[in-house]
Amino acid sequence: MTPSMRALLAAEWRKVTTTKMLWVLGLIAIGYSAMQTVMLTLIASGKLPGVPAQGELLLDPDYITTLLSQAGTAATFVLILGIIAMTGEFRHMTITSTFLAAPRRSRVLVAKMLLYGLLGAALAVITMTVVLIAAIASLAPFEHAPITVSVFTTVLAGAVIGMTLYAILGVSIGSVITNQVAAIVTALLWVLLVEALVGLAFPSVARWLPRGALNSAMNVGLTTDVSGGMTQADNLPAWGGVLVLLAYAVVFAALASRTTLRRDIT
Amino acid sequence: MQRESGPVLQVESLTKRFRSVTAVQDLSFTVEPGRVTGFLGPNGSGKTTTLRCLLGLVRPTSGRALVGGVPYAQLPAPVHAVGAALEASGFHPGRSARNHLRVVAAAASLPDTRADEVLEVVGLTDAGRRRVVEYSLGMRQRLALATALLGDPGALILDEPANGLDPEGIAWLRTHLRERAARGVTVLVSSHVLSEVQQTVDDVVIVSRGALVHAGPLSGLSSAGGVRVTVRSPDADRLLPSLLATAGVSAVPRGDGAVVITGLDAAEVGHLAFLAGCEIHELSVEADALERVFLDLTGGTP
Ligand SMILES: Nc1ncnc2c1ncn2[C@@H]1O[C@H](COP(=O)(O)OP(=O)(O)O)[C@@H](O)[C@H]1O
Ligand SMILES: [Mg+2]
Repeated sequence: MTPSMRALLAAEWRKVTTTKMLWVLGLIAIGYSAMQTVMLTLIASGKLPGVPAQGELLLDPDYITTLLSQAGTAATFVLILGIIAMTGEFRHMTITSTFLAAPRRSRVLVAKMLLYGLLGAALAVITMTVVLIAAIASLAPFEHAPITVSVFTTVLAGAVIGMTLYAILGVSIGSVITNQVAAIVTALLWVLLVEALVGLAFPSVARWLPRGALNSAMNVGLTTDVSGGMTQADNLPAWGGVLVLLAYAVVFAALASRTTLRRDIT
Repeated sequence: MQRESGPVLQVESLTKRFRSVTAVQDLSFTVEPGRVTGFLGPNGSGKTTTLRCLLGLVRPTSGRALVGGVPYAQLPAPVHAVGAALEASGFHPGRSARNHLRVVAAAASLPDTRADEVLEVVGLTDAGRRRVVEYSLGMRQRLALATALLGDPGALILDEPANGLDPEGIAWLRTHLRERAARGVTVLVSSHVLSEVQQTVDDVVIVSRGALVHAGPLSGLSSAGGVRVTVRSPDADRLLPSLLATAGVSAVPRGDGAVVITGLDAAEVGHLAFLAGCEIHELSVEADALERVFLDLTGGTP
């Protein structure tokens, strides 16, 4: 029998657990998201030197969803995790032994997407938990809108679905651009430059980009506007955000299967 | 331990072009089970490309390469059918040898204990838990070989396996491959130097610039290119005509009383000299005959 999906998943899990990449990126993602949440609370509270208090912000329920959806920052790291899952194999040429053991390449691609999708979901849950704790702790000294279960679960659902799809997207991008440095630089330029600028200048366009769709899925209340202040986010409906992300994942997966499956491994 | 004989490896009219470079050109040969076949040719002659085509890693431009009659990708249990160690096949530097083997074992549904078994076979047991980044070239070669042996395969395809191995390692490899072949395994080993595999192989497939120049038993190689016998005699003038009287023989005087002969072995030359009553001062067979024939065939320097 050709390698079963179960065997391929076991092999992928082995790969993940025998290097440090997941732990390193995971910890950075969680830490960075929690730090963003605390920073946002401090900014609104006026406890930062030179920043005027915006106490009324903390009373806005939309600000609470915004604090919680800082977990979305972790999505960028999940994307990079997915990229490294594939490009690492080409960088170290382990792709040779991978494809020798599983010459049906599409199955390797599917196994990686499944496993990294699960890892993305798990990381979303952990990050959301840590962000929730960070939000509760940093908001404690101030008067603030309540963090309700329904607000938390809405953001959590968006984060879990979104990061699952981000991980899958990362695997696909790594299959299309197999050069690790090129793939990561492209992804970072996209996230830090393109999405950030479009987000400021054309919010109605940005919601159709992956990060905007993720924010929509998480029901982010407020975003930063051109003046540096906070304005009401121009979201798609949450289900719309999920569909847009799904569309990106499907399109890139199709591209990935066309390229990876045909490429000469030399 | 006898095993069922391994698969036949077939390369049929294989051509592979990378953009403007033709790496392999209309190459055909067959590798039989139970024998060690040397796949020889200078650097850049298309050996690695051919092996990667056999293993389904490179898509042929035309022609095909089959393992037991089917393309590699259609093998029901690839790791059990073929064990391969390719040049520049890689390991994650941060992963230990043992973990690398356990990754492949998991994909092939083999028990983890196989990893320790093959580490033992290649003599890496003590180093098995160290990260590959700390490994020497020779240790990496051993790990590549261990990976190839993981599924106790019916065929072994090894690309320049002797590179970086110490003499002890090369001797061990030689015995190991001979033993596997004796048990019915199909063994294909590439090298760019004949002398490296000369004592290991039964058959040779020689390529140059991507095309076949010779295929057959190693013993046939000397006749293919002609081993040179040198005879030195004060009576060379008398000896020369009787040498040249035999069909297919070439004899070239070298000036110092020596004659270089191809087409006869030393005994035949000695016999002719005896019949002609010539005094002999030297009768020698060129030491590196096979290597020179190999170089002549491939038209290159090593
Ligand atoms: N991926 C590739 N892209 C372009 N040219 C290649 C590639 N792989 C091999 N070649 C070329 O094909 C030829 C044969 O290479 P190779 O099969 O590695 O030979 P060998 O293993 O006998 O040294 C060389 O000229 C090499 O430069
Ligand atoms: Mg080579």
